[in-house]
Amino acid sequence: MKTGWMLFTGLAFFYAVVSVIYWFVGGEAVGITAIGLSGGLAAIIGFYLWFTNKRLGNVLPEDNVTAEISDAAGELGFYSPYSWWPLPVAFCMVLAGVGLLIGWWLTLIAAGGLLVSVLGFVLEYEKPSANAH
Amino acid sequence: MTTYATRTAETAAPIKKSESKGRLFVKIITTTDHKMIGYMYLVTTFAWFLIGGVLALILRAELARPGLQFVSAEQYNQVFTMHGTIMLLLFATPLFVGFANVIMPLQIGAADVAFPRMNMLSYWLFLFGGLMAFAGFLTPGGAASFGWTAYAPLANSQYSPGVGGDLWVIGLAMGGIGTILGGVNFITTIFTMRAPGMTMFRMSIFSWNVLLTSILVLLAFPPLAAAFLALESDRLFGSHIFDPANGGAMLWQHLFWFFGHPEVYILALPFFGIATEILPVFSRKPIFGYKGLIAATIAISALSVSVWAHHMFASGQVLLPFFSFMTFLIGVPTGVKFFNWIGTIWRGSVSFETPMLWVMGFLITFLFGGLTGIILASPPLDFAVSASYFVVAHFHYVLFGTVVFAMFAGFYFWWPKMTGRMLNERLGKIHFWTLFFGFHMTFLIQHWLGIKGMPRRYADYLATDGFTTMNTISTIGSVLLALSMIPFFINIWITRKSPLVGVDDPWGYGASLEWATSCPPPRHNFTSMPRIRSERPAFDLHYPHIKTEGH
Repeated sequence: MKTGWMLFTGLAFFYAVVSVIYWFVGGEAVGITAIGLSGGLAAIIGFYLWFTNKRLGNVLPEDNVTAEISDAAGELGFYSPYSWWPLPVAFCMVLAGVGLLIGWWLTLIAAGGLLVSVLGFVLEYEKPSANAH
Repeated sequence: MTTYATRTAETAAPIKKSESKGRLFVKIITTTDHKMIGYMYLVTTFAWFLIGGVLALILRAELARPGLQFVSAEQYNQVFTMHGTIMLLLFATPLFVGFANVIMPLQIGAADVAFPRMNMLSYWLFLFGGLMAFAGFLTPGGAASFGWTAYAPLANSQYSPGVGGDLWVIGLAMGGIGTILGGVNFITTIFTMRAPGMTMFRMSIFSWNVLLTSILVLLAFPPLAAAFLALESDRLFGSHIFDPANGGAMLWQHLFWFFGHPEVYILALPFFGIATEILPVFSRKPIFGYKGLIAATIAISALSVSVWAHHMFASGQVLLPFFSFMTFLIGVPTGVKFFNWIGTIWRGSVSFETPMLWVMGFLITFLFGGLTGIILASPPLDFAVSASYFVVAHFHYVLFGTVVFAMFAGFYFWWPKMTGRMLNERLGKIHFWTLFFGFHMTFLIQHWLGIKGMPRRYADYLATDGFTTMNTISTIGSVLLALSMIPFFINIWITRKSPLVGVDDPWGYGASLEWATSCPPPRHNFTSMPRIRSERPAFDLHYPHIKTEGH
């Protein structure tokens, strides 16, 4: 993670510097804004990675040069075996776009479909918890 | 659905299930397996490549002789617009997503990507968005005809009426959202799912380039999506965002090229990565200057947001010295890469199997494109040849050189990993040499055509212009280029039932982790994983007596 946050904070710093240089040599507003915002994007990701690395204590097996494969033994994580939901989500998004050309009624129907399918997508593996509070 | 790493012995006897066509179809459209999604990307993008190629042949056929023989001027505009759009946004960009999906998780030792369902969502958005943009051909007014750059005010509803343009804008915005989701997915996968011991500086160059390309996707595609939505708002609701009366023409160009130039590196970097994977394998040497290559790639990604306006030199409204200097500067890390590639081959035990041949084709072709790029980075020279066939030749050398040559290199190289079967070497070599000569015959001569004054995007020219011979040669070359696809298809067909390779590493000197699992890999990629102690874990596994760590 250390390489990760250094990469992104480095990029953020570089973009900030370039944005200022471009401003001083007489650049136009769009470019200054766009490079500056690029720096902001890199800074957000860099900060998040730095923060996460600090919280985890810099001990991830993938960052350890002498790690054994068994260091990460056990549960690898959760992987969806298959899913129907991406198809309706994408279909409704595109339908909403087509609706802009055909008529608002179609966009409205597609927006409803999008809401349902996004909920289905997000809640696919959510199970009601036994000890809800 | 928790997944555990299982031992080889326990999975030794796979249960053979006969699959009906319907079951297979359902399996494909509901899959969350990164390899299957990657294959779908590769097949779909290759189909787009063929469609874009047919459009290119229409353009070349029209230009072969003076006069309008096949299409009208308006149809010609539609065809070159869709050729550019398809090749850049529906072929090359998703091709990166396809290769990254299939190969990158294997190389970092991950079981899948971080967001498997979002991965599938990206694919559907790309497929539907692309079909939508292409559907313009079915509308009465025809497809979009304002060039793939969609300059304002040409692209507004007054100068380009018709639903074809609207379908183009909305379809590409959808596809762009899919690409952004793909970028997020790859960055998260690389940061969180590497195998133990796979530190960032042991990751293969291809995976590094996927990471940096994904960062560029995050920087470049949101401005494009925003610009597209604003353009559509102009077209549909009559807003005045890109109205020339309040500077909209320059606003569009800045926004578009702020996407457009990083986009060139989005197309180039992953394919540089493929070349960098192949060179050491067939040179029997480790990569020369591994960290230098990564530093060069980071430098390219960083600088790529500060060069966009060299596409706008001829507008007369951009800072020539700043953008010219930055463009020359970005040539330096690209030169460093060439230095490293040559250093990798240098005094190696080089053999020219088909993938290596394609990489050689890539090096030669891309070098040409890079050199004409240096010429175009200089404003006085750019003014002379801007918007001429010199520029057309330049960007075809750059993009075809990287994307297509490295794509076929990757296909031949990873075909056994993807299918378990080798492609035929002899047909592969015929394929390479036909394509190589076809390509150079088509595009080399266009440099002179441009210097003589032939402008791009013109449907016709006069016999007295003196362009006829050069255009005819170029068209003959394009036919040869198209015919070179035939050996490839024959190759796929005749090797479809050839014997399985049966080993993890059929090329013998594979370095990165994908060569340490079976061909094709199991559902979650690895049944066992070697200890990772260098950037060549598979090589260390197969040649334990050659110590590569701490050299």
